[in-house]
Amino acid sequence: MTHKTTVPGGASRQLLPTATGRRTWAALRSEFARLPGLSAAAGALLVVAAGAGLVAPWVLGRLVDDVIAGSGTRQVVSWAGVIGGAAVLAGLLTAAGATVAARLGETVLARLRERVLDRALHLPSATLERAGTGDLVARAGDDVAVVTNVITTSGPAFLGALLSVVLTAAGLFALDWRLGLAGLAAAPAYALALRWYLKRSVPYYARERVATGERAQAMAGALRGSATVRAYRTEDAHVGRIADRSAVARDLSLEIFNLHTRFGLRINRAEFVGLAAVLLAGFLLVRDNLSTVGAATTAALYFHRLFNPIGLLLLESDSVLQAGASLARLVGVTSLPGTDSADGRGPAREGRSGTVDRGTAGRGTAEPAALEVVVDQHCYDDGPVVLQDVVLRLAPGERVALVGASGAGKSTLAGITAGLIAPTRGSVRLRGVPLAQLGEHRVRREIALISQEVHVFAGPLADDLRLADPDATDAEMTAALDLVGATAWIRTLPDGLATAVGEGGWHLTAAQAQQLALARLVLADAAVAVLDEATAEAGSAGARDLDRAASAATEGRTTLIVAHRLSQAATADRIVVLEHGRVAEHGTHDQLLEAGGGYSRLWRSWSTPDPVVRQRRGSEEYAEGGPLDGIGVSTTVP
Amino acid sequence: MIRPPVAAGETSAGVVLRRALRRQRGRVLAGTLLLCLHQVTEVLVPVAIGVIIDRAVATGDVRALLLSLAGLAALFTVLAFAYRTGARLAYAAVEREAHAVRVEIAGRALDPRGHRSGMRDGELLSVTASDAELSALVVRVAGLSAAAITAIVVAAVALLVVDVPLGLGVLVGVPLVVVALQRMAPLLTRRSASQQEALATTTALAVDLVSGLRVLRGIGAQDHAARRYAATSQQALGVTLRAATTKGLHAGLTTTVNGLFLAVVAGVAGWLALQGRLTIGELVAVVGLAQFIAEPVQTLGYCVQLFAMARGSAGRVARVLGAAPVVRPGTAGPPDPSPSRLVLDSVGYAGLDGFSLRVDAGEVLGVLAYDPSEAEALVALLSGRVPREDHRGTLYVDGVPAEDLHIDALRGAVLVEQHDVALFEGTLRDNLAAGADVDETVLRAAVRAAAAEDVLDAHPQGIDRQLTERGANLSGGQRQRIGLARALVADPPVLVLHNPTTAIDAVTEAYLADGLASARGTAGAHGTAGARSTVLISSSPALLRVTHRVAVIDRGRVVAEGSHEHLLASDARYREEVLR
Repeated sequence: MTHKTTVPGGASRQLLPTATGRRTWAALRSEFARLPGLSAAAGALLVVAAGAGLVAPWVLGRLVDDVIAGSGTRQVVSWAGVIGGAAVLAGLLTAAGATVAARLGETVLARLRERVLDRALHLPSATLERAGTGDLVARAGDDVAVVTNVITTSGPAFLGALLSVVLTAAGLFALDWRLGLAGLAAAPAYALALRWYLKRSVPYYARERVATGERAQAMAGALRGSATVRAYRTEDAHVGRIADRSAVARDLSLEIFNLHTRFGLRINRAEFVGLAAVLLAGFLLVRDNLSTVGAATTAALYFHRLFNPIGLLLLESDSVLQAGASLARLVGVTSLPGTDSADGRGPAREGRSGTVDRGTAGRGTAEPAALEVVVDQHCYDDGPVVLQDVVLRLAPGERVALVGASGAGKSTLAGITAGLIAPTRGSVRLRGVPLAQLGEHRVRREIALISQEVHVFAGPLADDLRLADPDATDAEMTAALDLVGATAWIRTLPDGLATAVGEGGWHLTAAQAQQLALARLVLADAAVAVLDEATAEAGSAGARDLDRAASAATEGRTTLIVAHRLSQAATADRIVVLEHGRVAEHGTHDQLLEAGGGYSRLWRSWSTPDPVVRQRRGSEEYAEGGPLDGIGVSTTVP
Repeated sequence: MIRPPVAAGETSAGVVLRRALRRQRGRVLAGTLLLCLHQVTEVLVPVAIGVIIDRAVATGDVRALLLSLAGLAALFTVLAFAYRTGARLAYAAVEREAHAVRVEIAGRALDPRGHRSGMRDGELLSVTASDAELSALVVRVAGLSAAAITAIVVAAVALLVVDVPLGLGVLVGVPLVVVALQRMAPLLTRRSASQQEALATTTALAVDLVSGLRVLRGIGAQDHAARRYAATSQQALGVTLRAATTKGLHAGLTTTVNGLFLAVVAGVAGWLALQGRLTIGELVAVVGLAQFIAEPVQTLGYCVQLFAMARGSAGRVARVLGAAPVVRPGTAGPPDPSPSRLVLDSVGYAGLDGFSLRVDAGEVLGVLAYDPSEAEALVALLSGRVPREDHRGTLYVDGVPAEDLHIDALRGAVLVEQHDVALFEGTLRDNLAAGADVDETVLRAAVRAAAAEDVLDAHPQGIDRQLTERGANLSGGQRQRIGLARALVADPPVLVLHNPTTAIDAVTEAYLADGLASARGTAGAHGTAGARSTVLISSSPALLRVTHRVAVIDRGRVVAEGSHEHLLASDARYREEVLR
């Protein structure tokens, strides 16, 4: 559907659910529980690997004691041997642990992103129409990327650091509980530093993302419209805007960095407090013969070893928090109810294509169906009435054109006909069965809609077409493209059907993209086709070709076409003229011309030179009974 | 106009990098010095631990303890503040330089004379977004490498002071260990790169599919799309696992090699301590330094990679900043209005060949090209985008050859509104005024003439309604009408409209045609010097109907001229093209 039906701005944010912390944890736990062996192995390996890392400082402490005691060279060599052995063991365990943990985390992650996308793609039409695609794109793109980045890039380091901190602290206590307690003196200082930081940093990141996004947007907008920027001599204003936004982003990232360094100061302070406490405790214990110099050395080395992992944990804490927030949004999407696709995965379609010869690119293989649309009334939420008392009956294979001014309700009626919008009061029946009874999945297979929203999917052209029919052969795709008159430009593509198109690929013109959409329609082979502004974006000369392509693609299908050019209306079986959300006139082209209503006046003004209008040029008023009166122009009549 | 501070053709990666260091020299110098100081204090922490164990813990001397703890506090203070200030200065240098470069690139990319960098919009965007930042990293390379070298020198001195042979051993051993571990780096980089690429592909596919969700749903293709995504995601998983295995192997190897090196150092130092050549504190310090010194050596390796990256990015930045302009306009000021506002005299360009056309003052001229590419060639010429050497013949604006005019004089005389109307972020008001200071009544009159009042009425904020990037929250037809209104507000002497109503329904188009003709036609009689002219390049009968004259282009030249009515009545081909 078009812009008219999307809810503006921030309201859409709330329309997709976000999971609570508890639900997010539960979802994660159940994912790990699906892989019990891998989870246990990863946990065990990581713990043992971190433990092996503690051997060296402990041995160094014993070495110090032995040197003080004046023991022999043998002893020193054997201690060195223990450090070496522990190093080999720790290395093996680290390698194994990292590999197994990655397999676990990445597998869970892949499953999660696949489920998110599956749910996003199968969002019920009603939810999608209300929420729009913006938030969904952000979740499937940004949120998945944030979680992936944390799990794949910082995840292993974070986990390793966490384990070393826990185990080193345990080692410190095992060495001497009093030295352990001294080390703990640093904990409040660390905790305060962290609290101070998180309170400030998290909102910053959201602001920074917005600022860099806006900077890129200003640049992208100016570049894409550079011809217009030049024509209107506004390059200084645009460069100024880019400079302003870049400065905002720069200042924000400087502020964030300052925050980091201030956090760093606090971490340094905590490090000093802990180290001094350990050394002081060691001094007192050694003086009172409660501990050895070696133990004090080990404790100091243990604590010094903690600097890096603790620093890493603290500095990564906000990205982990962000990943948690993204995860909650992803789990929110996975908890959405799907459509009936799970059980109804294409049975209707398979039955059809199995029995019919598919040699003719799907043309005419779909059984034409009767469609009845009854809208007593329709309005969006609490908005004004958009459609009132509209009844539309399409016989199997019939082509009906909708004519009317902007805002007359054409797109809404097209959306209702296609089953994307449920009328506030009314119903749509396909072959006599209400759409609600057929279920969304079946409806989407039976009724195809091509809207003004043109999207060329990135990747090979054949992949784009195969979205409509994954089993389509090259011959079928070529036949479909030929049917919509695309053969000429397909020949000019460097790699034919294998040419990459869409974002970052070969650029298709608006008209070519529309032909591609019509070719998809042919391959999807639906019984009913709804074309809303499907030929609108092309240049005038291309429009005629597109009209022909649309006729060919919908041949044999029950078709509702929102006509922008009157030629589209003239070739339709029947015409319905909408005015202020009501049917003003309907009938065949000839009937309407004979009736002498608004349509006939419009047709005459369009198809023949009309000196009356020419002479009136320059006046701002349209006289009563002028050629355009009564066509339901809701906008321009003063 | 913000002119690039480097002359065209003289720019290279080296120039961009040197310029960055020169422009930020104050911050670079102070930041580097402080970062060096920070590294010195970092080296001293393990030394200090050794000294405290030696002088205080092992002796039980309270005075020594208090003194050494005070020393430790002082050390941490210097360490913390040296880092804070040094890092801030270095970071600020990078960010400020990146900002400056970004603004220069934007200025160059939007230069009205065009640029011959050969880069497409996407590339230019990535140059502004990432290359500007990456090339500025040269500043960071300078600071980091100086600090790392300082750390290595100080650690070396400390080790040599403790024991010369042991110190030499450590100084030779550490770089060997680091270099040995670096041998895995290329594989690691390769695997990480393919992992990043696979993940980026997966994300891009997700965004692409969800962005086109309405199209997918329109043809019932959601299942196929979900299956395609799952397959890509599984491929990415495979690549990621391979990369993770390599990384795990590298981590394990690093742990082992570092541990073995530590075992050797500890064994030798312990033996020396037994011999009485080292004190306990020196033993602790040596072990601590041996572990520490690997860090700055690794940093140096990292700096080499970083510099290579900055150089590559600087090369791309240089390509944009040094790009030559496409057109080289003249210097003449705005010409005096003449009775023939535009004259194309035997022009040859793209599909046009020996093409001649006159646009009179006060005239609304229709142009119908049977081949759309010839209409596009005409639009390109009239937009002033075609360099003099690329076309034959001459375009005269008010009797003056276009190439003699200053770029602003040319743009002030002829305005081309593109078929694919580009709107910008901001309010409708901003878009309509296009930077000019215009009264609201003028804006509203233009909106009315363009039959676009519904765009204002449909929204509670009316003319102050916010448009998103490229006006994406408007429909194609609304964008075209707002673009037309914007052109009417600009009120140029010659207005060229290219297929302005292709996304507009027939009813609205009819109103728009009359509004347009009346808005452009009221300024003066046909042929009066100074009266405004309009060129409508279109095949829409609704638009052609309101023109004074239509010129028909076929095979590169004007083949028929006359009123729309006359052509309709007399020319069968014309009738067929227009009444589709």
